[in-house]
Amino acid sequence: MAVRAESGVKGRIDWAFALAAGGLVLMGTIVMLSAASPLPYYASLVQRHFVALFGGIVLFLAALGFNYQIYQDQAKVVYGLCLAMLVAVLVVGSVHKGHRSWINLGPLTFQPAELARIGLILVMAAFLDARARKIKELSTIVLAVLLAAPLMALIVKQPDYSTVLTFLPIIIGMLFCAGASLTHLFGVIGFGATAVAMPLLFTYFQIAYPQAAPGTFAHFILQTEHFGRATALVMAGTGIASFASWKVSAWLRLQVRGMYFVAFPLILCAGLISGITVNHRMKSYQRNRFVAYVAPQVDIQGAAYHVHQSQIAIGSGGLFGKGLFNGTQSQLGFLPERHTDFAYAVVGEELGFWGTIGILGLYMLLIYRIVAIGKLARDRFGLLVCAGLATMFAFELALNVGMCLGLMPVAGIPLPMISYGGSSLMITMWALGIVANVYSRRYALL
Amino acid sequence: MIQGHQALKDRLQGIWVIASLIGAALALRLVQLQIVDNVEYRMAAERNSSQIIYQTAPRGRIYDRDGDAIATNEPAFSLIYLPSKTKEKANLKPLAQELGRQLKKDPDEILARLEQAVQEDTAIRLAENLPPQTMFRLSELKTIYPGVDLIVEARRYYPYGRFASHLIGYMSRMDPRSWKRLKNDGYRVDSRIGRLGIESVFERELRGRDGGIRMQVDAQGRLKKELERIPWIAGSNIHLTIDRDIQKAADDALRTSKSGRGAAVVLDPGSGAILALSSAPDFDPNALLSTDPEAVKKTVADLPEFNNAISGTFSPGSMFKTIVGAAGLQTGRVDPKQTVYCPGYFYLGRKMFHCWVYHAKTGPRRHGAVDFLEALEHSCDVYFYTMGLKIGGPTIEKYERMFGLGQKTEIALRGEKSGHVFGPQTRAKAGRGWYDGDTVNLSIGQGELLVTPIQMAVVAAAIANGGTLWRPHYTDRIEYGQGRPDYQQQPEKLGQVELKPEVWDLIRQGMKLVVTGDGGTAHGANFPQLDVRGKTGTAQNSSGADHSWFMGYAGWPGKPPQIAFAVIVENGGESWEGGVPVAHKIIAAAFHLEESKPKPKPRLPKPLAEAPKLLPLPAGRAR
Repeated sequence: MAVRAESGVKGRIDWAFALAAGGLVLMGTIVMLSAASPLPYYASLVQRHFVALFGGIVLFLAALGFNYQIYQDQAKVVYGLCLAMLVAVLVVGSVHKGHRSWINLGPLTFQPAELARIGLILVMAAFLDARARKIKELSTIVLAVLLAAPLMALIVKQPDYSTVLTFLPIIIGMLFCAGASLTHLFGVIGFGATAVAMPLLFTYFQIAYPQAAPGTFAHFILQTEHFGRATALVMAGTGIASFASWKVSAWLRLQVRGMYFVAFPLILCAGLISGITVNHRMKSYQRNRFVAYVAPQVDIQGAAYHVHQSQIAIGSGGLFGKGLFNGTQSQLGFLPERHTDFAYAVVGEELGFWGTIGILGLYMLLIYRIVAIGKLARDRFGLLVCAGLATMFAFELALNVGMCLGLMPVAGIPLPMISYGGSSLMITMWALGIVANVYSRRYALL
Repeated sequence: MIQGHQALKDRLQGIWVIASLIGAALALRLVQLQIVDNVEYRMAAERNSSQIIYQTAPRGRIYDRDGDAIATNEPAFSLIYLPSKTKEKANLKPLAQELGRQLKKDPDEILARLEQAVQEDTAIRLAENLPPQTMFRLSELKTIYPGVDLIVEARRYYPYGRFASHLIGYMSRMDPRSWKRLKNDGYRVDSRIGRLGIESVFERELRGRDGGIRMQVDAQGRLKKELERIPWIAGSNIHLTIDRDIQKAADDALRTSKSGRGAAVVLDPGSGAILALSSAPDFDPNALLSTDPEAVKKTVADLPEFNNAISGTFSPGSMFKTIVGAAGLQTGRVDPKQTVYCPGYFYLGRKMFHCWVYHAKTGPRRHGAVDFLEALEHSCDVYFYTMGLKIGGPTIEKYERMFGLGQKTEIALRGEKSGHVFGPQTRAKAGRGWYDGDTVNLSIGQGELLVTPIQMAVVAAAIANGGTLWRPHYTDRIEYGQGRPDYQQQPEKLGQVELKPEVWDLIRQGMKLVVTGDGGTAHGANFPQLDVRGKTGTAQNSSGADHSWFMGYAGWPGKPPQIAFAVIVENGGESWEGGVPVAHKIIAAAFHLEESKPKPKPRLPKPLAEAPKLLPLPAGRAR
């Protein structure tokens, strides 16, 4: 292997990556300055943002300076630190809008869940690297989920479902990149998809057929919402159907492993049960989000209001936007959460299509470079860290921008670097620093 | 060296493929929202953030003939409510309570209106024309409750209050039926529309185009800044032919008359221009614009909308004798010199008809022998019974029609009645016969003959001007503004009564004697400086006291007459007690004279010592 001894900064920095990261941070700052301007506590927000920005730069440089393999070596410490912080927030954390998610550190507040997200990626990468030989086994997936479970449970306790929601694709993405069995992964995804689909299905039927007569299909679907005869019938039906298809495949002499015909109904039934459980335990504001997604016309002033206003904001921006500080939707308060979750809509309104497509482009460039850096990484750990981060950014982009554009339900997931959030910004920049370090050490693990 | 590196890189590439698909989908959606549907969303954003507060345009002013405004506008403060975009149902209740206390209205009613405004997402007026002290108190609410605001706009105001109320009309809120008709005409639910009289007839002209302020509002409905001021266009001004002094005199006189009910119409005999048109009981149009809803409700409930001057129909009584006389003299069936002996009563077959003097309270009287002029002066019924039979029903009916009775005068007001022609032809049309008794009744203007005060004013004007029946008009000109030339009213003829000059002279002489003669029934209308002529009338009324009429005309001696008038006081009794005093005040106002002490009663013939011996009944079977 030819070691190219490049000296100086030039070869150590991925300039496209730096441009993307720097551009996003800059855009985020501009958007925050405009979007938060009508707020009464504007000055303190600006102050906090710039403190966080400074902290983020420090963390970025620190991460760039440290050998990223230290996280692999000290994976247990990272894991323990994350757990400790999450426990601490439940004990001494401050409550804001019903979530006990913040730890007060003098003038700054810190959100441990943000740290846990990156912590999970690092720990998971270390775990998957260690399990490289047994990566194809189902036990790896089970252990990976068990590894993440305590963190997720603690975050759910806050409760902060939005952050937990991002953990799942990260785990799946990293398992996928680590080389886990596709069959197993599809099983997991199938389970998850069923679990998510059930509440959506129920919500849809509740709105579409509010008075379904007994005996109709809609009534039957609505009955499955309660654990009872209908639910049992569906599960039995799934079993019989898969048994029948097993027979058919045997008769056709298809070379399909019998295992699938056992796993398939099991996954489906497990998904069904989880879905129904989730449906039962959903809070009213969460259900409203489902309603707003399934049938936005039902309550335009209620749950669908946010998405509706966001679309108006983005749509009315046009090609060039209304100019910073001039968006009527954002400045007059029609757009909710305008400096946090819906910051992208402010970009759409005030900077127009060029602004939104610019941020989208920067994000795509960032993800592309993280993927590229992952491929260049000297070791499996570095590759997996990049895979986790790329998945995380892609997922958050899809959910946040998708939400602003009315393509996704409201999940309350912010867009890193664009949405205001001190902890998120600092931790994200730290993570980017790690990626930059992976790049700088692509030839030699000095 | 990483084991299976290529496989790992391939899987990582998979992540990128998924990410780029997501990116492409988002980019496509951005194109759709921001470029394809941009206009739609921009309009939605504008609707979101702007509210128009309409400002009622000043309604066209109504002036009298001297250019004094009878109906004008004054600035008024209105309380409006702009619903916020965010759901704040809970906030409405305390607001409604507070407003209810300040405005002295029912809080539940206010709450219902507020909720409706929120539901329909439109600005509403909660109260109009606020008194200053309420306004100052309410302006504090602005800071507590977002969405509440005060605006200034033009409000109708009638400086003379109770003045020509039936002619001018009044303004009121839109009722559901008018709203259905007008909602596509630029009216709003809270618009006021003209009712009755000129306000209603010229609604289109008087009403300008409302302006407004387009305001930027935030999500809470707070006004942020003014985006645009849409100027209003004031309505067209209407100049009337009304003489304020005469109108006021007529209004006051009727109001203080014996019964307080009646009508007076004063015309310019040279053109048919209305100098005064008064109907009693009347109302104060300002009361309908009051800030107190209870007061308005009460005013509306017993609003005397009935315009006696054009819609009231009465028997003309003895005034009709002028027309009977015209018929007899013109056709030659009456010789003005021929006398008729009036014993105080008249037999037609076995039926006896009295002369009015016979009924005089002080005792039975008679006119004795009277010729045409004396008969008119004394208003002798027996003379006209006799002459009426000579002239004949058909001829009298012809002259009725000739003088425009039974036809509308086509005054530009709603609700005019045509009255009722009484005569053989009309009877025949109705399939009933005509008897001499009817002719006798008709000869003194009783029976089924019904006329309106304005018809009689037109007749009086025709006698004054030598036979021209003018269409009465009250508009002089309409100033449209906006570069559109003014509309100038021209006199319009309804018809012409062709009589020989000596016939006109005789009728006018008779009418002169009515006012000035020894036995005249209208001494009260006399002014020595003036040439006043007229004829009284007493319309028998089955339900109560007789209605008291007086019609005539007046001018400076030797000059063409300046005013023609007809006055009726319902249940006014004898004409010198009812109609004549009103006319007296009208004439005094028209010629700017001191009101002289009225001489209320005509000099009646001496009462007979005993009841006259009745002539023996003509032969015939007793009933």
